[in-house]
Amino acid sequence: MSNKPPRLALAVALACGAATGAHAQANRAEVLHWWTSGGESAAVKELANAYTAAGGTWVDAAIAGGEQARAAAVNRMVGGTPPTATQFNTSKQFLDLVDQGMLNNVDVVAAKNNWDKILPAPILASIRIKGHYYAVPVDIHMPAWFWYSKPAFAKAGIAAEPKTPDEFFADLDKLKAAGIVPLAFGGQPWQEKITFYAWLAHVGGPDMYLKLYRDKDAAMVTSPPFKAVLASYKRLHNYVDAGSPNRNWNDATAMVISGKAGVQIMGDWAKGEFAAAHQTAGKEFGCFPGFGPKSPYLVAGDVFVFPKITDPAQVKSQQLLATVFTAPATQVAFSNKKGSIPIRTDVDVKGLDICAQQGVTIMKDVSRQLPSPEMLISPDLEGTLQDVITKFWNTNESVDDAAKAIAAALKNG
Amino acid sequence: MSALAQAAPGLGDDAIAERRHGLRRRPGGRMPRPARIGLYVFLFTAALMFLLPLYVMVATSIKPMEEIRLGNLFGLPVRITLAPWAQAWMSACTGLECGGIRAGFMNSVAIVVPSTVLSILLGALNGYALSFWRPRGAQALFVVLLTGAFIPYQVMLFPLIRALAALGLFGTLPGVVLIHTLFGMPVMTLLFRNYYAGVPHELFMAARIDGGGFWRIFVQLMLPMSLPIVVVATIMQVTAIWNDFLIGLVFAGHDWLPMTVQLNNIINTTTGERLYNVNMAATLLTSAVPLAVYLISGRWFVRGIAAGAVKG
Amino acid sequence: MAATVLWVYVGSVLWSVRISVSSSRTLPIGDYVGLRQYARLFDSERWTLSLQNMALFGVLFIVACLAIGFLLAVFIDQRVRGEGVLRTIFLYPYAMSFVATGLVWQWMLNPELGLQATVRGWGFPSFTFDWIARQDAVMYAIVVAAVWQACGLVMALMLAGLRGIDESLWMAARIDGIPPWRVYASIVLPMLGPSFGTAFVLLSVSVVKVFDVVVAMTQGGPGLASEVPAKFIIDNLLGRANIGLASAASTVLLLTVLALLAPWFYARAHASRRGERVARALRASETPGMAA
Repeated sequence: MSNKPPRLALAVALACGAATGAHAQANRAEVLHWWTSGGESAAVKELANAYTAAGGTWVDAAIAGGEQARAAAVNRMVGGTPPTATQFNTSKQFLDLVDQGMLNNVDVVAAKNNWDKILPAPILASIRIKGHYYAVPVDIHMPAWFWYSKPAFAKAGIAAEPKTPDEFFADLDKLKAAGIVPLAFGGQPWQEKITFYAWLAHVGGPDMYLKLYRDKDAAMVTSPPFKAVLASYKRLHNYVDAGSPNRNWNDATAMVISGKAGVQIMGDWAKGEFAAAHQTAGKEFGCFPGFGPKSPYLVAGDVFVFPKITDPAQVKSQQLLATVFTAPATQVAFSNKKGSIPIRTDVDVKGLDICAQQGVTIMKDVSRQLPSPEMLISPDLEGTLQDVITKFWNTNESVDDAAKAIAAALKNG
Repeated sequence: MSALAQAAPGLGDDAIAERRHGLRRRPGGRMPRPARIGLYVFLFTAALMFLLPLYVMVATSIKPMEEIRLGNLFGLPVRITLAPWAQAWMSACTGLECGGIRAGFMNSVAIVVPSTVLSILLGALNGYALSFWRPRGAQALFVVLLTGAFIPYQVMLFPLIRALAALGLFGTLPGVVLIHTLFGMPVMTLLFRNYYAGVPHELFMAARIDGGGFWRIFVQLMLPMSLPIVVVATIMQVTAIWNDFLIGLVFAGHDWLPMTVQLNNIINTTTGERLYNVNMAATLLTSAVPLAVYLISGRWFVRGIAAGAVKG
Repeated sequence: MAATVLWVYVGSVLWSVRISVSSSRTLPIGDYVGLRQYARLFDSERWTLSLQNMALFGVLFIVACLAIGFLLAVFIDQRVRGEGVLRTIFLYPYAMSFVATGLVWQWMLNPELGLQATVRGWGFPSFTFDWIARQDAVMYAIVVAAVWQACGLVMALMLAGLRGIDESLWMAARIDGIPPWRVYASIVLPMLGPSFGTAFVLLSVSVVKVFDVVVAMTQGGPGLASEVPAKFIIDNLLGRANIGLASAASTVLLLTVLALLAPWFYARAHASRRGERVARALRASETPGMAA
């Protein structure tokens, strides 16, 4: 029967393991994550292979949906059967767990591998809490890239990528005139949120961005420059089609892939959709990370944390995982399949696509690194701001009211 | 006294004779032709409207992704491919493993069968007890049960997890069956209680007089009479438990994860690419089991034998 | 068994209420912050909107399902050919989880991709059906999808009830010369009381817990227009790491449900007390035979 083999194999494996002792399941690690699509699976396989090659046994526990997976991990920790390692975003999501003493730290691994020297500052700030290292970063994703269809640009007569916001609006007008949907957009609250992140960073600039998310400066929010950014963000709404509400981000990317739309503002995970459609960066589609040569690079990503387990064998597995995940070879292989960029800049990036290579080059310039908002504010505040932004995007709310709502959220959060 | 009033208590030789001879008289009887035509038109139109989403699902599941990306939602496939179905069953990625939804199939069966049987049995017992025996405090218990049905499961998770962990049942098959049974109780009890409320009390009284006790009356009188509602209850429980995702995810443990977890992994990837044809095929495959249950249970969806079961 | 059930439901609710007066975020914490979470809840525009949406959804959904389910059951009961097929056609939506069917509905109702685009393509350029994209009409779109999914079960319940009605009733009605529609209106409908009651409670439970259809179709959008209480609670429980606020919301939701159900329960208790008196009288008299 089709499913008997896996369970049978499990039974046999357990029997063998029992017979030959701990040797068969050396460094057993159950790893919980949310990478379930074809491309993501190939990426996880790189991690698993690297771990197995280092003498470990990888037991996979995948649950689609970041929120769902994180909740499942917390449930298991509460229920007493925690996984060996579990995935979070590079963010403040796991701070509560640290505060409650539910995580093991990996200071040993961090010291041995000089994390202080090889990891970028925003990531270090995120994983080092009260002097201890509680998470191992595995990738850097940038949520604010611009993807465009080369045929669509050609049809609209756009010769070069826009270097300023005004040029961008001019290009959107050209696309509209050519009968192409200028901006491929998915009207879901989280997409509206990351589009705002992108707009604030690229148009408002890093200073304004940090004043909002790092300093929670309510006065800045009600000032004219910020309101101008809000207004130009809303201006983008004129360039999306009537079918944009509720649309999945993949469907928006599909519009760019088929040339029906010109541009999409989306994270670098969009490359997976282009790859699935057999399109190559630089040929059928193009990518640029912002306006001009000094555009900020938003740093987001994924980490793995280690639930508090006292069993020394499990602790050893956790440390082995942390070591393997940050090894240069693993990083390159993983980034290649994942569409992200490695967490360390001292690796050979020849195998990555041109968009990722561009990202790595930019990351070398420390002044362009900008932590993503989830690294700076709590999930709760991020959610409240998302509510404000989605209301502003979808209704006729005035810029003043929206600014006031943001200021109120900052004060309460 | 009119024939109707005489017949109303629900007892009659004709009914029994009809059933013995296998005749199936239905209320339609001799309907006028235009009304009959109108009836069929209504049913046909309703059926078409109900089938429209199914058509979109099936059509999408046999189109290649290139075609899906172009839109044209209602169009027939230009090129038909069955690869998404094979992929959904055997090779779609659900994490590190790329084994499709097949992996969780037997687990789902192992969870659904005992949970359905137990919850229906307990629900019938409760409904029977509440309807005819009315023990003290039954009404209050029923109110608590019913109110409990309105609470979203997520809210109750933490205390349940801790409780099951204390009992050593967290992450085990008995644990997840227990949780499903518990969550199914309110609705099952309600279903059977209301059904038994429509059963004439005289029947029960007669059985008591004939010397039946709690269990004998239940097994020999009520259960056989409950066939239609058992069918409905089975439909509801099989559907709910087979399609359940949250309880299986939280309480079943790594070894007993149901098929819905694989289904969720295939469909709900956050930032991965989405293969809609595979998603649709996977959903259709997953719903095949409840659908089969509906089809098979149809033969028991006949007129109840309640009314004709006891002579005056 | 009774103790287990009581403990599970009452215990969980009590625990949830306890957490709602704490400052719990990702994990439950035992501190006490008074009614701060409740204050935040009632300040939240999103929560208020979700309650309004639930009320609107509830009324439309329940009325539509009961009406359509009843009609379908009655029509199918009329000795039609292909009853098995028809029954399965109306029931199959119930078999599918909303995760995928919700997406299909989103596509079908999308103005650029679905019905509006198709009908316009047939030559009706002014045809509009963009409920799902409009703040003021998105809940109607959700009602449509939800009714599609649920009225099959209502039909099944009604059919089971109809099938429990004795043959002799129909024969007697024919003998007495009563037209079928009057039989349905005056006799069958009241006899189906319990079935309607069951269906109503089941549908109400769906209304209070409505989540999957909203998440799959609109994710609460556009903007906040299709927010519902269960989604508010779960968002705060999971993504926003705000267990305290989520518990406060679910407590308020439960109280709302109790407030609505209380009159019904009181009426039932009253009727059952009457029923108990009759039952006791019957037992006391122990008369053999019935149907007098």
